[in-house]
Amino acid sequence: MTSDTRPDPDKLLALVGNDGGDGARRRGRLKIFFGANAGVGKTYAMLSEARRLHSDGHDVLIGVVEHHGRAETLALIDGLPVLARREIVHRHVHLTEFDLDAALVRKPGLILVDEYAHTNAPGSRHPKRWQDIEELLDNGIDVCTTLNVQHLESLNDVVARLTGVWVKETVPDAAFDTADEIALIDIPPDELLKRLSEGKVYVSDGAHTRAADNFFKKANLGRLREIALRRAAERVDAQNDALSAAMGQSEAATGDKILVLVGPDPLSALLIRHTKRMADRSRAQWFALYLQTDRHETLSDNARRRIENHLRLAERLGARVVRLNAGRAASSILTYARQNGFTRLVLGHTKQPWWRSLWGGQSLSQKLIAQGAGLEIITLNADTPTQTKDTGSRFRLTPSPRDYLIATAITGIATALGVPFRAVIDPDSFIMLYITGVVVTAARYGIGPSLFASVLSVCAFNWFFVAPYYSFTFDNVSYALTFGVMLVTSLIVGSLTARLSLHARLARRSEAETRLLYDVSRALSSVSAPEAIGQVTQRQLQPAFDADIALWHDSVQITGEPIGDPREIGAMQWVAQNRQIAGRDTDTLPTAQGLYLPIALEGTSLGVLSLTPKDRSRQFSGAEHLIFETVASLIGGALQRARQTQIAETSRVESENEKLRNVLLASLSHDLKTPLTVMNGAVGTLLKMRKKLPREAVDELTAMWNHLTRLQKFVSNLLRMAALTSGQLKLNFEPYLIQEVAGAALARIDAQKGQRRVQTQTVGTVPMVRIDGALIEQVLINLFENAIAHTAEDGLISLTFETDADRVRVRIGDNGPGLKPGEEDRIFEKFYTYGQQTSDRQTESTGLGLAICKAIIEAHGGLIYAKNNPSGGASFIFTLPVDNTET
Amino acid sequence: MTTVLIIEDETDIRRYLRATLTAQDYEVLEASTAKEGLQKLTLNRPDLIILDLGLPDTDGQDFIRAVRDWSRTPIIVLSAREHETDKVTALENGADDYLTKPFSPAELLARLKVALRHAMPAQAEVSDIFEHDGLKVDQTAAQVWLDGQEIHLTPIEFRLLTTLIKHPGKVLTHAQLLKTVWGRHTTEQNHYLRIHTQHLREKLGDDPLNPRFILTRPGIGYGFKA
Repeated sequence: MTSDTRPDPDKLLALVGNDGGDGARRRGRLKIFFGANAGVGKTYAMLSEARRLHSDGHDVLIGVVEHHGRAETLALIDGLPVLARREIVHRHVHLTEFDLDAALVRKPGLILVDEYAHTNAPGSRHPKRWQDIEELLDNGIDVCTTLNVQHLESLNDVVARLTGVWVKETVPDAAFDTADEIALIDIPPDELLKRLSEGKVYVSDGAHTRAADNFFKKANLGRLREIALRRAAERVDAQNDALSAAMGQSEAATGDKILVLVGPDPLSALLIRHTKRMADRSRAQWFALYLQTDRHETLSDNARRRIENHLRLAERLGARVVRLNAGRAASSILTYARQNGFTRLVLGHTKQPWWRSLWGGQSLSQKLIAQGAGLEIITLNADTPTQTKDTGSRFRLTPSPRDYLIATAITGIATALGVPFRAVIDPDSFIMLYITGVVVTAARYGIGPSLFASVLSVCAFNWFFVAPYYSFTFDNVSYALTFGVMLVTSLIVGSLTARLSLHARLARRSEAETRLLYDVSRALSSVSAPEAIGQVTQRQLQPAFDADIALWHDSVQITGEPIGDPREIGAMQWVAQNRQIAGRDTDTLPTAQGLYLPIALEGTSLGVLSLTPKDRSRQFSGAEHLIFETVASLIGGALQRARQTQIAETSRVESENEKLRNVLLASLSHDLKTPLTVMNGAVGTLLKMRKKLPREAVDELTAMWNHLTRLQKFVSNLLRMAALTSGQLKLNFEPYLIQEVAGAALARIDAQKGQRRVQTQTVGTVPMVRIDGALIEQVLINLFENAIAHTAEDGLISLTFETDADRVRVRIGDNGPGLKPGEEDRIFEKFYTYGQQTSDRQTESTGLGLAICKAIIEAHGGLIYAKNNPSGGASFIFTLPVDNTET
Repeated sequence: MTTVLIIEDETDIRRYLRATLTAQDYEVLEASTAKEGLQKLTLNRPDLIILDLGLPDTDGQDFIRAVRDWSRTPIIVLSAREHETDKVTALENGADDYLTKPFSPAELLARLKVALRHAMPAQAEVSDIFEHDGLKVDQTAAQVWLDGQEIHLTPIEFRLLTTLIKHPGKVLTHAQLLKTVWGRHTTEQNHYLRIHTQHLREKLGDDPLNPRFILTRPGIGYGFKA
């Protein structure tokens, strides 16, 4: 228990938000100036704050502010930097719009973007301005904006009912609730009316003035003010709750969980808003459920789109969306609700047709109430029409007039088959012929045509086969019964057949979907090159969806007709960058011809998949979107695999190369050093016998010894340089006191330095450095040898250590002739020898020593340079980063 | 007479080594492969082995490990490579010293003498008192004197010092020192090793630029000046 109530620091930090200065991916802060209605002074307040910040030296930019020509607003804008608006020509009308891209490029610290709920001109990237603002925030730009209460999604209908003015421009509540700061701008209604009469309030355009008159009634203003105040207060509550939840005090939550049932019915939108408000009041979690029954498949495209819209609305309002596949609606809903701990169920009450209740059937709400013991069930009635006419199902599961024609034709054929035999065969036998026709119709064309065929068959039977022929009258009274039985039988057989056939068709369709996904996944698993992945995708998807397929991998189009339209390319790039779906049938860049899906894996964007239907007017259904998303994730997996294969291949080649280089260097080392060692040994042994040798031989041997020493040094340097430049030398960083390393180096050159003196000096305390000890020792040896080579026999070499911020600086100076002007950089080049070699002995330069020093020091992240001393001679200076290991 | 076993596949280098060593009155055995070397090692019990790391039949490192399983005969390694990894590995496998080709006869002989000396039953291990160049260490009493003055070391510094003086002239790798002094080896302790070595040096009045007692072998380890 105690552990549960301990504050969770991560959550607290998340709540405190993003004032942390961790730079790169900081999300911007959003401040909303919130008011009950136009004219309360939101823009004024926002501009005043901007001016204050601007004069404090903040980087403030006006993205867009509607001044409506008012002097006091204009006066506030004056002096602040204003972003130029973007011009859009739409159907010969010039529009100006906020320039999102320019704002992103300019990247100010704070940007003012008026009217949060504004709807962008067609052709903009996002349909809504609040989405522009999201993108600004995502890019780390702070934003100030303004909002009126009626533009809030969840309050939209309340305000509309109150004022009679429907506002189409809405902002999702989530955007409002996640804002970092809300400034409530409030003035009493009387004052507002006064300002209105003084003409200080801008009332959109002329056409709405009547509505506006209605809007600005004093009673309305009071109510709106109340709603705004309450909404702002709720937000503060919600924040407090979140804070106390993070602090481990979770008594704020009521434990309520609300489930709202959503369908194609327009009433659903009302239900969703209602539930949102209910959930806010009781601080409950809420979910929106769409139950996908068999009926879903028979819905028209429009109905499906409405369902998707409703679910999207619920999501925007903060609900979690659940889709459930189930056969029996009531029991499935109740099982789900009970299993997941829901306390309340919200659904619409639908009016039953009279014949339905005669039948004894119950509506869903009745069933739920009857069976839902323990659950609070709330039904909402609405005056909106509960059914709208839907036409044009894509899957032809609802019959077309053509199907009825075919039903007629089938009945005709049955008749035509029977008529030649009616004199010889008992008329009753033809009933079976007709019923066969009905079954065929039902199986192929569904329930409607089969019912139609049943009725038609009875009529045709009477007309053609029952005496007297060619009349609807009949001699034998018993035929009345025959007709009745025939009608009932064919109706029942027809409807059963139709249902069976529908199920079979649905099964076939879902099998086709599964099959498609299976085929795609199998085809993708057998290829590993991105191009092949593209081809497979195209081959599989193009026929299945009758659409043009394009696939981008790392911004390179790898399949499909090359797309060059800047609008399409723009959509593709946006999707690649934001890893969100965009294009047709979506909220982002809906004017694009294609639908663009991100292909991302574990947060990294791998590419973009686009589908452009050949029939431009066709919209993709929600179910198809789901398939696309699955396909996109399959492609993602394949691309990832392709990338890994490629990386593995490259690294294999690299490691082979490295191995080869290693072997080469090792054998080169061996082959060069073995003869040198042997010669060294031989000459050394001979020199030991100098007393037994003639003088000339000793001279020759000494010369040979000196040259051998030079050759050894040269070979050593050459091999070291080869190892360094081939990049195969792995630095073994360890902490060192630089003096230790220098001590080791000094010991190594002790024999060479002869009579020269070495003076050492340490300025202050020198911290440890993080270096490859052996390599830095080599640097010091090379620099000492260089100093020895450029000083006289009795020369002086100075060695200084000092600290400079987070660097240790080492200086090796000599009192030799120094560098020639312009030589300071060149001496570090390979094979460059400089100055006058004062010693002709083994220290003669190979032109590699300093180049090796430079390579080593640079590999350490240090600097090396040379300069002449004011007092003569040259100095070689290098720096090394300090070891920051904690002690 | 001291016997030296040379395991080296290059005939000319063997000849050079033999010439240098016989001139100094060492008895020399030669082997051109690891297998042959192992045979001669078991049969003739040499006092020291000079081993080339690049043998045709076995990796020199494996050879050192195999020998160290049953023999304490000093091993001096010959390496043609520039980088220190080979040497550190060889030392950690149990080699006593290394020489980078090409090397002078004087260098070889000096290393040989040091290796042979601390292969003898070490005096430091027999007697508890170690004395060298003004430094006196009483290992039992855990007391240290420098030029007649007693100096106080922390337990870690004392252990570091005694580890080093047990093998005078021999280079101990960083890992070996850490394992002996701290009991285990982790890379972050590398830093402590430097700090403690520095403190020990300060107390011993040892200038890292011109050390009197502790030698630095950058990239490899530390050794006590013999």
